[in-house]
Amino acid sequence: MTTVEPTDQPVPTQVLDGAVEEYPRDKLYVQVAVILAVITAVEVATYASPDFFIWSWGGDSNVGLISFLLLLMAVKFAMVAWFFMHLKWDKPILWRVFVSGIVLAFAVYLAAMFMFRLFSPDSMLAT
Amino acid sequence: MAETVATHESLSQEVREGLSAELGHIEHDTNTGISNTKLAMWLFLGSECLLFGGLITTYLLYKNPLSGPTPDEIYDIPFTSVSSFVLLMSSLTMVLAVSAIERGDHHRLRVWLGATALLGTTFISGQIYEFTVFYQEGLGYTTSRFSSAFYTLTGFHGVHVTVGIIMLVSLLLLSLRGHLPEHRSETVEIVGLYWHFVDVVWILIFAVVYLIP
Repeated sequence: MTTVEPTDQPVPTQVLDGAVEEYPRDKLYVQVAVILAVITAVEVATYASPDFFIWSWGGDSNVGLISFLLLLMAVKFAMVAWFFMHLKWDKPILWRVFVSGIVLAFAVYLAAMFMFRLFSPDSMLAT
Repeated sequence: MAETVATHESLSQEVREGLSAELGHIEHDTNTGISNTKLAMWLFLGSECLLFGGLITTYLLYKNPLSGPTPDEIYDIPFTSVSSFVLLMSSLTMVLAVSAIERGDHHRLRVWLGATALLGTTFISGQIYEFTVFYQEGLGYTTSRFSSAFYTLTGFHGVHVTVGIIMLVSLLLLSLRGHLPEHRSETVEIVGLYWHFVDVVWILIFAVVYLIP
């Protein structure tokens, strides 16, 4: 049985499952969490100051605001999956499995939303 | 059979741990190089994308209520923002727990597992409070198509968080009883994957349901 001594250094973990070469230090996780917190604060700022020039373009259609929020959402999603879920260090098959689920879901439900004309002014669900 | 059990129980703790470690090693020797348990969890999470994708799509389709309170009237964005921040930080404590057990630091493992469970419980408490306020303001489950879609989506997510908390507390109890040695760190990692998934789903819900007008 292999014993892993407590250490502050990155620990090779092939002994654990053979899938991970090396884990980063906890400092990286904290840095990622700080970035995620900042992004969340920016998201909330879009609610507090909807007229700020960075996300207010597009006028009443809110195209700028929606695009900006979707971008921030995607960045947060990717950062959690990449760093916290260890996809950065794990074998590629794992992120392929996960991304396959996401792509399938996105394609199926985007088609469903178009079918109901969700993005059209004459949406079937407006009334 | 009874003899087999008696023989196994008569083994010393050291021998049993060594045996478990050996069995664990054999279990990880797969074609993909990844343990079947871990691969199964990722497949499960991939399928969960379809579940939550369906619920989010349904919400978007039914967002415009025909009767009852509208989303703009009822959402408390500052309160939900704090809840979102709490859940986001629970992902940090979870990944620190995984890191701790891989280093054999059981004390920190328990601290971070406990912190994650506590943050998750705080999030769920906030959601129960939010639902209660919404109900008092006239938004019942069957009030409108918007309310049904909203409660179904956020309720399903809440159930997932609750299941995650139960798993975290179970891990904490296992660790306290000494049944979570380093060679079983993958168990913590797999629970961690589930927990992070619950977090990324909330990242989507927070933006799509609460923030996007």
